[in-house]
Amino acid sequence: MRGSWPAVVFLALAALVPVVVRDAFLLDGLILLLLWGTTAAAWNIAGGYAGQVSLGHSAFFGLGAYAAALLGTRWDLSPWLGLLVGAALATAFGCIIGFLSNRLRGPYFVLATIACSQVLLIVASRWRALTAGSEGVPVPFRPGFWTLGIADKRVWVYLVLVLAVLLYLIELYLERSRRGYQLAAVREDEDAALSLGVPALRLKVAAITASAALTAVCGVLWAQYVGFVDPFYVFSVDLSVRFCLAAILGGIGTPLGPFLGATLIVTLETYLRARFGGIGAGRVGIYLIIYGIALIVMMRFAPQGLVPWIGERLRWRPGPGTAP
Amino acid sequence: MHTIPQLVVSTILLGGIYALIAVGLTLIFGVMRVVNFAHGEFLMLSMYLAFWAFALLRLDPYVTLVLALPLIFGGGWLSYRLVMRPVVHASHNVQIFTTVGLSIALQNLALVLWTADSQFVRTSYYAVVVRFGSMALNLAQIVAFAVAVLFTAALFAFMRWSYTGKVMRATAQDRHVAALMGIDTSRVFALTWAVGITCVGVAGVLLAPIYPVYPTVGLQFVLIAYVAVVLGGLGDMAGALIASLVVAAVEVVGSYMIGTAWKEVLYLLLFIAILVVRPAGLFGQRGAEAIGT
Repeated sequence: MRGSWPAVVFLALAALVPVVVRDAFLLDGLILLLLWGTTAAAWNIAGGYAGQVSLGHSAFFGLGAYAAALLGTRWDLSPWLGLLVGAALATAFGCIIGFLSNRLRGPYFVLATIACSQVLLIVASRWRALTAGSEGVPVPFRPGFWTLGIADKRVWVYLVLVLAVLLYLIELYLERSRRGYQLAAVREDEDAALSLGVPALRLKVAAITASAALTAVCGVLWAQYVGFVDPFYVFSVDLSVRFCLAAILGGIGTPLGPFLGATLIVTLETYLRARFGGIGAGRVGIYLIIYGIALIVMMRFAPQGLVPWIGERLRWRPGPGTAP
Repeated sequence: MHTIPQLVVSTILLGGIYALIAVGLTLIFGVMRVVNFAHGEFLMLSMYLAFWAFALLRLDPYVTLVLALPLIFGGGWLSYRLVMRPVVHASHNVQIFTTVGLSIALQNLALVLWTADSQFVRTSYYAVVVRFGSMALNLAQIVAFAVAVLFTAALFAFMRWSYTGKVMRATAQDRHVAALMGIDTSRVFALTWAVGITCVGVAGVLLAPIYPVYPTVGLQFVLIAYVAVVLGGLGDMAGALIASLVVAAVEVVGSYMIGTAWKEVLYLLLFIAILVVRPAGLFGQRGAEAIGT
């Protein structure tokens, strides 16, 4: 496990925090940090490892959030079932987008993913009979583990942490396994990979589908934790941008990158929210101005992201990072 | 069927504005091979420019248009120098993320400066309706269409007959050969970017008296422009023009048949259908989408 000690330290620290810290505000920040980091890691499977950059991943996040919320409010079913349904829907939808990726490359694929997420946004906000329309769906709080009605934030930390560890392990697998190398070959030069007998289409579709299903799982947890699903938020392009922003800033195609990126983003956002909450709420947007500029600067000087950049300077090998 | 002339005229008016947004986008792609994901944000900024000039200086949007032209062009040029120049020869993903970064920064700059509330430019002729027989048309929309058509025509003439236009087209065809022929491609890219931004900026000022402005308003219009640009074939200016009319027709007829609530679904589905069936667009070169250029 050479090179993965920073991630072990990061995840162990996250696991220790709830033992020491009781402050609800800090715990809330940690949960969101882990959740956004995990979602960015899920994006990273498609965007980083498979090289299929999507700006429509909010589609999967929203499918998960809506599946759990609607099953809970309309049919009084458990969000764990919603998790299965959401992941199944996202898998189906991810398959479609995965096959699109075979025909479309670069900017064309990006545009197609944006269009798909926008279609779902309109369906969710206009199909009132199913989704309650643009008002959104409040998720009722039903105490118990089966209904995910957990008031104790420390339990939430561990719940999200399990998912975060799972994502990290998946990305380690992609980094070190035969499948992972094949996927990297497809990303770097699809024609060359094909000529060597790598099943390019199958690998790409599998990566995008896995990425979609895991994003949907994040959506389910997010909806249950926050307690409200707003179609204009969960299906927005802004949210998709948020996923990829964390992954790119941290280091696209690295297992630790998305978590580092999410840490930076959530920390500044939470600080500004606490500082300018209420009346000056508009000023919270400053963090996105900073990260928008950071993205531009990073693309110019270190397009591979922070983790590989730091790694080079410390001569520590975090695994093969990928310049986008 | 007295509604048909009204639908046709509405389509043409709407299509004219969409064309101006789409032409700028497709020009930048054609010459620079960059899809500008911040295109809508420039539209939004120029709408706010018109709003500011109106609210603070009591300037009519059409006066602002004339005064702001050099400002918008200069802003475009500056954004090229600061943001785009270093990545103009970089990979697709670097370019995509750079323009996405620009989009995030500009959108949130507007959010911090003007809040998320919708702002209106309420001119005295806000609700003036012109009647031709059975047709009723908004005055601001007619003016916007007329100016947009003039501007687009001027751009086409510039690209067709001027020396600089020819240089830009040569660079679009093959930037390496163009450079070998002594063309300063770096300056061509700067000019192309600035001209493309000016197109969308002019469209923004023209739209200000018709639509409310808020920080994410760009997305709504730029999505339509993406549809038009892909339908016409990325980089094909005449294609973008015709496709803008097609998209406007889908929107106008769609709103008339099934109501305004679902009209966006129609053109988004049209968009996905084109991407699946013929991604090179109606007039584009087959296979362009598969190599991503």
